[in-house]
Amino acid sequence: MSSTIAESSNGEESVVLDLHKKFIETSQSSPDILALNRKALDQFAKLKFPHRKHEMYTFVNTKDIAGAPFSLKTKSSSPQQFVKQHVYAGCERSHLTLVDGILCSELSDATALGTAVMVGSLTDAVKHEPIKTALQESIEQENDVFASINSAFMTQGIMIRVGKDKQVEAPLQILNISTGGESGPVMTVPRIYVHLEPLSELKLIVKYVGEEGNYFVNSVQDVVVEENASLTHIQVQADSTDAWHFSKNRVHLKRNSYYRGYQATNGARLVRHHNEAWLSEPGAGLELSGVSVLVDDEQSHQFIRVHHEVEHCTSQQRFKNIINHRARASFDGTVVVNKGAQLTNSDQLINNLMLSDEGHADCKPNLMIFADDVKCAHGATVGQLDEGQLFYLRTRGLSEAVAKEILTQSFASSIIQEIPFAPVIEELNQTLLKKLKAN
Amino acid sequence: MLRIKNLHAGFEGTEILKGISLSINKGETHAIMGPNGSGKSTLAKILSGHPAYEVFSGEVVFEGKNLLELSAEDRSLAGVFMGFQYPVEIPGVNNAEFLRMAYNARLVNEGKDEVDPLDFDDILQEKMNLLGMENKYKERNCNDGFSGGEKKKNEILQMAILKPALSVLDETDSGLDIDALRVVANGVNKLNNEDNALILITHYQRLLDYIKPDFVHVLSHGKIIKSGGKELAHELEAQGYDWLTTTN
Repeated sequence: MSSTIAESSNGEESVVLDLHKKFIETSQSSPDILALNRKALDQFAKLKFPHRKHEMYTFVNTKDIAGAPFSLKTKSSSPQQFVKQHVYAGCERSHLTLVDGILCSELSDATALGTAVMVGSLTDAVKHEPIKTALQESIEQENDVFASINSAFMTQGIMIRVGKDKQVEAPLQILNISTGGESGPVMTVPRIYVHLEPLSELKLIVKYVGEEGNYFVNSVQDVVVEENASLTHIQVQADSTDAWHFSKNRVHLKRNSYYRGYQATNGARLVRHHNEAWLSEPGAGLELSGVSVLVDDEQSHQFIRVHHEVEHCTSQQRFKNIINHRARASFDGTVVVNKGAQLTNSDQLINNLMLSDEGHADCKPNLMIFADDVKCAHGATVGQLDEGQLFYLRTRGLSEAVAKEILTQSFASSIIQEIPFAPVIEELNQTLLKKLKAN
Repeated sequence: MLRIKNLHAGFEGTEILKGISLSINKGETHAIMGPNGSGKSTLAKILSGHPAYEVFSGEVVFEGKNLLELSAEDRSLAGVFMGFQYPVEIPGVNNAEFLRMAYNARLVNEGKDEVDPLDFDDILQEKMNLLGMENKYKERNCNDGFSGGEKKKNEILQMAILKPALSVLDETDSGLDIDALRVVANGVNKLNNEDNALILITHYQRLLDYIKPDFVHVLSHGKIIKSGGKELAHELEAQGYDWLTTTN
């Protein structure tokens, strides 16, 4: 009996299991980290790769990635010039560079952060019992198979800790560079642990770029925001067009804390964001916004679970997708309002702009409410450019192409313009225009 | 400047304009009046090049060019301005930015260099001062959340910026209270000169108290049934459209 189960789980999963065996043999991580790696692999074996009807992957076809013979790349470097090009203005002295998931100190400069922010490795972090326990729990409770792969292969990662009552003025950028593979696809597993102590504040910008190639970035971010602390978390996905990009954010919010998340997706072969948040003490607030600009065969998928566990918390989700050619986007977001989470205020809005006949958008805004005194709203739209607006602009002497650009930009602007970091706004506007013009 | 000759046109295969002929010269203001459904707005749509409207026969020549062959944007660049009955809201597009793009499109078409936001601000400020408009027209998004009166004022601001040879104002007075009407009309009067021409499409004579037309044409069932001077508008106001439509 048991051998049958083992056999059935050894289909596509065997590639990962074999790779893990080799990984453990050669890994130089501390025993604590290795123990977590093993635990995560057990979870992976339980979860298995999703089939087409898996509720978490209803709209995402992972068959090209499940069981693909990925190799791991652990030691790489990137030219200084490439790094410079992707460090945002204002982050010249506050950026950390990960090359293929590994922190590269010679390409990093955190001098502007001073003593307010402690930057370390996960190896150091798990020496502290509470962090070790937290990581252990999150690995055991992981529901996303790709996030469990990240945990199974994570090494040093980065731990960022903002001290109590420290408001960090300099925006901190994490630059994730993937170098791609010379032969065959390469998987990288960036892992970031962000902990904001009470009353602290941080603006964190994480940018994912790739030199070229069909690499697979499989990143996980654990975020803890303690009492009255506030985190702004901007993620910019700008990978190579052949890349796979999976990202999971696990956000824990304590009393009166606030999390603002922005996710800009510039498209790749397959992008999937998984956001899971727990508002576990009264007064916690969450905002999640995102914009995707997709052309050709690019895909971007958003999967969200927000858990309102107690009363007096707020959450807001706003996502916009611009879909051209044969591109696909999906949104699957659920807000769970637990029994007792009275006076919850939550809304969700997803808008899709279709620029072609062949594009595809799936939306599933969802509410699960077990309390009786709450305000929850959700909505979704799928539409095209407005003919009346197009005509109006043309009667002012603007060509049809320019009018379409203006209206497409205006569609995205309500999200892009609100990103509280000007260099990202500028970059996104330029990328958007470039993608629209190229086609 | 503009010559319309035996124009038959309509919408979704239905003929609405049934043979319109009209000549407009530099410096003239023409009012086109008529009851609801007479084809006034269709004429405006045809002149502006709305893609949903079709021309069956006839010709429209504007300064020697066949206007009907030009796209909506080329008509604008050639100097025809359309003031919308219902100006469209464009959220997410800053009004000053939009005006600058329209202004620059015209400059580029004339082979000139574009102006930058700073220089354009001076141009815009001058026009806003001329029309007595507040700063909010710069700061807000194009027509987004504007009241009916604000939208119409914004049309006149666009007219001031683009300096068209021919302006077609489609029911610019509809939905305006008397104060807003006065502001809009004063604006139009300030922009009127010897070198441009104006077509005012209106249902009511009221607008013509503020903008004096040189000619009034009455449109009914897709035809001009009477043309005259500005006194014709007063007769219409006194006697209603029935006076003309029943005698025909």
